[in-house]
Amino acid sequence: MDYVYTILILIGLFVILASSFDLVIGHCGLISIAHPIFYAIGAYVSAMLAKEGGMPIPLAMLAGGAAAFAASVLVALPSLRVSGDYLLIASIGFQLGLIEFAKHIHSIGGAGGLTNIPPFLVNTYGRVSYVLLVLAIALLTVLFVRWLTRGPYGRMMAAMRDDELAFSMLGRNAIWVKVSIFAIGSGIAGIAGGLYAHYFRFLEPDQFGLLQSSAILTMVVVGGMRTTLGPVIGAIVLQILPQAITFFGLPPSILGPLQGLMFSGLVLVFMFARPQGLLAAPDIWAGRDSKERRDG
Amino acid sequence: MADVLKVSGLNKRFGGIVVADNIDLALAKGRVLGLIGPNGAGKTSFFNLVCGVVKPDSGSITLVGQEINGLPIRERARMGLARTWQNLRLFSSLSVLDNLMLGPRAYSADNLLDVVFRPGHVADSERESRERAFAVLERTGLAGIAHQPIRDITFGQQKLVGVARALMNDAQCLLLDEPMAGVEGQAYALIQKVVRDIAASGVAICVVEHNVAFIRDLCDEGVFMFAGKVLARGTVETLIADPQLTELYFGT
Ligand SMILES: Nc1ncnc2c1ncn2[C@@H]1O[C@H](COP(=O)(O)OP(=O)(O)O)[C@@H](O)[C@H]1O
Ligand SMILES: [Mg+2]
Repeated sequence: MDYVYTILILIGLFVILASSFDLVIGHCGLISIAHPIFYAIGAYVSAMLAKEGGMPIPLAMLAGGAAAFAASVLVALPSLRVSGDYLLIASIGFQLGLIEFAKHIHSIGGAGGLTNIPPFLVNTYGRVSYVLLVLAIALLTVLFVRWLTRGPYGRMMAAMRDDELAFSMLGRNAIWVKVSIFAIGSGIAGIAGGLYAHYFRFLEPDQFGLLQSSAILTMVVVGGMRTTLGPVIGAIVLQILPQAITFFGLPPSILGPLQGLMFSGLVLVFMFARPQGLLAAPDIWAGRDSKERRDG
Repeated sequence: MADVLKVSGLNKRFGGIVVADNIDLALAKGRVLGLIGPNGAGKTSFFNLVCGVVKPDSGSITLVGQEINGLPIRERARMGLARTWQNLRLFSSLSVLDNLMLGPRAYSADNLLDVVFRPGHVADSERESRERAFAVLERTGLAGIAHQPIRDITFGQQKLVGVARALMNDAQCLLLDEPMAGVEGQAYALIQKVVRDIAASGVAICVVEHNVAFIRDLCDEGVFMFAGKVLARGTVETLIADPQLTELYFGT
């Protein structure tokens, strides 16, 4: 049963990550794949505050989200002021640089990883309680992204994706929209990091690298960008598939590479066969009040 | 006469091409100025310089007495400068109404903190904007297609949407880049009436247009531009009657 709980928690965490990443890359059109580093910042900050600072874990998790939020502003603000394209390079540089840096800091476990992170809920209320916590936050994240993108802020993001110059000429602040959304998406990833840390209780820098970037990107692309359920389905499919093929009893020498190939294979298949993903977003933005207005 | 927009000593070159050659030009409150000149004269570039899309090499641009040269595009818009684009630049994934909804100088959701923490305030502001947008759509004859996506309406209607979106700014200075190109019939008369009414309400307007009849009927005055220079200023009749200018206009 523990195995199932762990899978459910991973699915919940990746729903949070994929949905918040879709907010950044799909809805806001920001080209960045460094989402895992904000997940990492949330995880490490929360773990360290709880482990070394004795901070109550819920507070530590919130602080982890705040740290990811703040770090993302520091990355996005200077690079987006130069140009939108610069964000990709700046954020990957930040991601890989920080991972290397973390490997050399002994106080946070270095390359060997940070161990003995204080647990949360599980010892007192059992694993189910943690599963419920993660799934509840996943649901909140999905609903929040849906609510935000179908309201007036979503209208701004759609317009900005269409034509940033015309958008600015109306008096709208494109950089501010981008930095705000990047920070919110990254802050949510940071919260997910805290949830990860206090369940698995072990973190190592390398797990937050480009492999994880491509996994989250694949979830969003396969599920369908700018749809409410796309990132959810993507996260479920890409969590279940690698687990499912372990049941075929293949030898590890085949299983490992096969799981690795799956991400790149899926992205290729979808890029050619169904670029819009399993669920296709409508190409006309519809606010939450536009249907009732039209009908009424 | 109150100058709303005043440009002096404006210079800009792209490599060897001079698009603004020491331009001095003023737009007065309530007046419509026609900007005439052959393709490549620098008319659109002039609008781009005024709006901050292109940075001038030198010169000064003031809007209601304030220097705006150096300000970002959005701040100029928020001071009451609005424009249309020669190539429309509508938001193609939004409906006609939603294109307009983004046009007020202050937008309901400019501040994300308001969206999250003051939803009532944002909703009020949305309602106000929607009322204004419908008033502008009525005025431009677009109310019937408010919910249509941009790609489903005719080119003439798209041109009108461009003008309507600019009107949402409640601007003091309005720049129209070839509003009539490709427009026929009903939209033609409508655009002309709308521009006249807007000017009558005290807005300073500058229109770039190749349609001579349109510009003669509409404009109080015209300037002739060639190779980034303002060559002449006068009534549109005198400008189009000038054989030298006509030759530059139609010349090889
Ligand atoms: N961003 C730019 N970079 C280089 N050349 C430009 C740019 N914008 C305009 N030009 C050139 O400046 C000249 C004037 O263009 P434009 O202002 O569009 O003329 P008009 O609107 O009067 O037809 C043209 O030769 C055009 O190719
Ligand atoms: Mg032009």
